[in-house]
Amino acid sequence: MKKSSSNKNLKRCKRGFGLIFFIMVYIAGIGPALAHKVTIFAWVEGNRVFTESKFSGGKRVHQGDVIVYDSDGNQLLKGKTDDKGEFSFGVPKKTSLKIVLMAGMGHRGEWTIPVSDLEDVAGSQTKITSSRKTAPKKTEKQAEGPHLSSNEMRLTVEEALDKRLRPVMKLLVESLEQHDPTFSDILGGIGYILGLLGVAAYFNYRRKSAEIDGKKTD
Amino acid sequence: MHISEGVLSGPVLISGIALAAVGVAVGLKKLDYDRIPRAAILSASFFVASLIHVPIGPSSVHLILNGIIGLILGWGAFPVILVALTLQAMLFQFGGITTLGVNTVIMALPAVFCYYLFGRLVGRQPCIALSAAFVCGALSVFLSAVMVGLALTFTDENFLKVSYLVVTAHLPVMIIEGIITAFCVAFLKKVQSDMLPE
Repeated sequence: MKKSSSNKNLKRCKRGFGLIFFIMVYIAGIGPALAHKVTIFAWVEGNRVFTESKFSGGKRVHQGDVIVYDSDGNQLLKGKTDDKGEFSFGVPKKTSLKIVLMAGMGHRGEWTIPVSDLEDVAGSQTKITSSRKTAPKKTEKQAEGPHLSSNEMRLTVEEALDKRLRPVMKLLVESLEQHDPTFSDILGGIGYILGLLGVAAYFNYRRKSAEIDGKKTD
Repeated sequence: MHISEGVLSGPVLISGIALAAVGVAVGLKKLDYDRIPRAAILSASFFVASLIHVPIGPSSVHLILNGIIGLILGWGAFPVILVALTLQAMLFQFGGITTLGVNTVIMALPAVFCYYLFGRLVGRQPCIALSAAFVCGALSVFLSAVMVGLALTFTDENFLKVSYLVVTAHLPVMIIEGIITAFCVAFLKKVQSDMLPE
């Protein structure tokens, strides 16, 4: 009688475990999109700064607040991400820019653009304006032949490179910033916890052996 | 549930650390050596559970499992959750080092609360025990969500608005955690009933 009831229990346990396992696998398989880490990354192109915001796992941040600060912590401008999680703005000031994303529910991401990135921008801006100013003269000179001046050539190449490199830059920046948990991270964490357990067990052992020693000397 | 770095104001962070320190001290005092392996296993489960995501609705959330941790360990939930959160912050960049105190309190305090509320009921007959376990799992997540709202109130966000957002985002998790907690309790009652509080 007892045996049959324990058998029944065992069956039930197995079924319960199977169900839990199924739920776990199901949930894990649904797809990696989570909301406990949010990242924003930004890159400079021409005289605009482009930003893209995501929750780790790739879900875009809709309508997240993006706030831009200068190096002294003064707020320069504020905006909202669109449905693709993107937001762009003209370079407001030649300083290192701290771009902060507030995605709600306590989620915050940050990205800093160093001044060195913007020096290029300011340079190319002046280049553009200077080339515009000198443009008429050049066309007069160039009337002789179809070749471009070295300055114009450089600008055209830079522009084309910017355009071509944009996806590469995005990928690079993304790979630098994105760090989704890897299997080794997970195992590492569990290892740490087991290590702590080991430390506790060691102290327990010392305490117990001290007790036993105490009893022996008594 | 993990509040990022740089969102909360100084006083909130400091009071979070203070509360967490008290909780951890009480927890370590109550956690005797014989229950340490149990605590380690629960800590590991909590650590991994955050990687299981439930993407329903506009946002997506992850399992927390603070209900079952509270039910089995009581005050021991504080050190267990602190250890797991520290590792998550270091290895996964979830939350942050400065917000460890606040995040620990957000997840461990509801666990302890639920322990006192449901600990006795779990020892009763299966019907009551299972429903108590379900409510325990769900309520601990709900309370954690409310605490996130509370923590964010002190910076400039509106308490009711944020709490509403966080709670609705966690509704599916509440149900799933309720089911998981009930399953765990049912299993433990059969196999290892001394793990549950009397």
